[in-house]
Amino acid sequence: MMAVYASHNDLDRMGIIPRGSPRQSDFMFVAGTVTKKMSEVVRRVYDQMPEPRYVISVGSCANSGGIFNSYSTVQGCDTFLPVDVYIPGCPPRPEAFIEGIIKLQEKIRDEQFRWSRWR
Amino acid sequence: MQELDDTDKTFETKELTISLGPQHPATHGVLRLVLHLNGETVVKCTPYVGYLHRGVEKLGENRTYFAALPLSDRLDYISSMNNNVGYVNAVEKLFGIEAPARAKFIRTIVAEMGRLSSHIIWLGTHVLDIGATTPFLHAMAAREKILDLFEILCGARLTVSYPRVGGVRNDISQQFLDELYDFVLDFPSKMDDYETLVTENRIWKDRTVDIGVISREEAINWGLTGGTLRGSGVDYDVRKYAPYDAYDQVEFDVPVGKKGDCYDRYLVRVEEMRQANRIIKQCVEKLPAGAVMADAPKFTLPPKDMILKDMEHLIHQFILITKGPSVAEGEVYVGTEVPKGELGFYFVSDGTGKPYRMRVRAPSFVHASVMPRLCEGGLIADVIANIGTIDIVLGECDR
Amino acid sequence: MQPIAIAENIKDRFPEEVLDIREFREQVSVTLKKGRIVDICRYLHDDPSLYMDFLVDLCGLDYKGKKENRFAVLYNLYSVEHRHRIMLKAEVEESEPSIDSVISVWRGVDWHERECFDMFGIVFKGHPDLRRILLPEDWEGHPLRKDYPLKGPGPDMEWKGFTDVLDRAKRYKEFDWYQK
Repeated sequence: MMAVYASHNDLDRMGIIPRGSPRQSDFMFVAGTVTKKMSEVVRRVYDQMPEPRYVISVGSCANSGGIFNSYSTVQGCDTFLPVDVYIPGCPPRPEAFIEGIIKLQEKIRDEQFRWSRWR
Repeated sequence: MQELDDTDKTFETKELTISLGPQHPATHGVLRLVLHLNGETVVKCTPYVGYLHRGVEKLGENRTYFAALPLSDRLDYISSMNNNVGYVNAVEKLFGIEAPARAKFIRTIVAEMGRLSSHIIWLGTHVLDIGATTPFLHAMAAREKILDLFEILCGARLTVSYPRVGGVRNDISQQFLDELYDFVLDFPSKMDDYETLVTENRIWKDRTVDIGVISREEAINWGLTGGTLRGSGVDYDVRKYAPYDAYDQVEFDVPVGKKGDCYDRYLVRVEEMRQANRIIKQCVEKLPAGAVMADAPKFTLPPKDMILKDMEHLIHQFILITKGPSVAEGEVYVGTEVPKGELGFYFVSDGTGKPYRMRVRAPSFVHASVMPRLCEGGLIADVIANIGTIDIVLGECDR
Repeated sequence: MQPIAIAENIKDRFPEEVLDIREFREQVSVTLKKGRIVDICRYLHDDPSLYMDFLVDLCGLDYKGKKENRFAVLYNLYSVEHRHRIMLKAEVEESEPSIDSVISVWRGVDWHERECFDMFGIVFKGHPDLRRILLPEDWEGHPLRKDYPLKGPGPDMEWKGFTDVLDRAKRYKEFDWYQK
């Protein structure tokens, strides 16, 4: 996650700029295991984001719970969030990360009615 | 004119409560701090952890000793190699077996590489939190090189699971050794670059000197370990005190600080990176020949090519994987020095192939508990400096 | 000092408290009654020849069906000055799962005791702030007990905070711009 933002992989060139507040964001990464205690926080961050909004689920743990099938983990963050792109791997390689973002950009490009027509 | 009259009243101050985290970018994970502020001063600081609690200890009790190894990767996910080394050392002590000399040297090499990569992240993020972006970008470039070396070694970048109970998974190649040696020779000059950017920087010193001071006795009483403890002037290092792997056969110094503030802890960790580099260099030069897996068929998995060829080995592998090895009843605690501090594994065995109780003594857990002691009475800006200096990873803290 | 010598030292000093001394792989653990645990810890911390100033770890143990007293609390002590280690185990019965807190001796035991309370339900008397630490405040049950299932008590007894999130997710779905 950190390696993608830093030198060598540099997410900025994909047009991805990290923001300090969910109110200024277009999409969020759900990175790492989502526990039941954290689920409320994740949902609240999602609810604070303005439409149109997207979610990328990063890694096996966020996709499906991964190897942590126990009392305190949520088995996949799609149980309470609408996820647009799943990135596999535990943890995913930076290349997979970039691939996932390109997939999301393709998805946004194909959408018809969610964005205004003078985009 | 009604509004203007109101301004004549004295300005009332009251205590402000803010919640920092758990998804704040400067908190290194999902730490949440509730701060009571009087102006800029922190009156009370209450950390809340557990947002990444996955039940690793409970999961470990339901798996065999071999199958619980990947769980240790995901404790401190930025230095997973060190966690693996700690785990396999504890299990080997419980089994009563010992890895061959070559495997011990390889483990020492990879553990020190893990220490370098973890300390690089600590340096980058700590400096980034305080406001300098350049060292972060330089540091992450060096870390990519270490991760590439891990990839040559075992195919994974972060969650490696490379050390195994009784040795390591595969022998290291000549290509890996050559590239590692080039990296080791080059690294001190990179360290000089980072230090030029940070060490004597006036802003950096303003933000860290005399911030978060903790005395020698107090640091021990709080149970701090690793660089956080050595910054206060205690030369406690598990690698020196209770050597495991090949640490008794290499020379290295244990740097200690004087005052126990953020700046001393910074100096200690930077010197530790130089020492880690020195250990890797010695290990590569001294690397002995021989096997990389212990000859203990009851406790180690048979080699893969034999499993594919021979029925006996296949059955043996099947039994070890499904039932686990039969272990003597007893309990054992082994602590190892990971980048964050002392990582301990405590096992209680009841004679079956699964641990009856697996306990992880996580350094980040203890270090997070000292946050109120460091922050209270200071300014709110120093809270971020303190989070950086105790060097926590919440995956390990919450387990 | 050799670990076995420390164990003998404790036995000489507190003969009626020590139940058992065990050695396994050069590590010694002393099983104790829980009554005078603070006195024993204070003695180990203050005695100049022992000087156990560093509490490495405190954790709970659950011997359900294996021992007479179901729970135990393990104290893993180390001396930075003398470089020796000892493990103390205080037995706690199931009917009254409580023990005195040693926070007056080692300040760093704070979160370990909270975690032990969270995971095993052992109450530490005298602890200033005994709340759950890793799990949410209103969680039911103590997960590391042997009778707690690994995957939780099942969907009917789900933690309320999580079911609230699921409800909210379902409720807010109709406000999405388009159905996914």
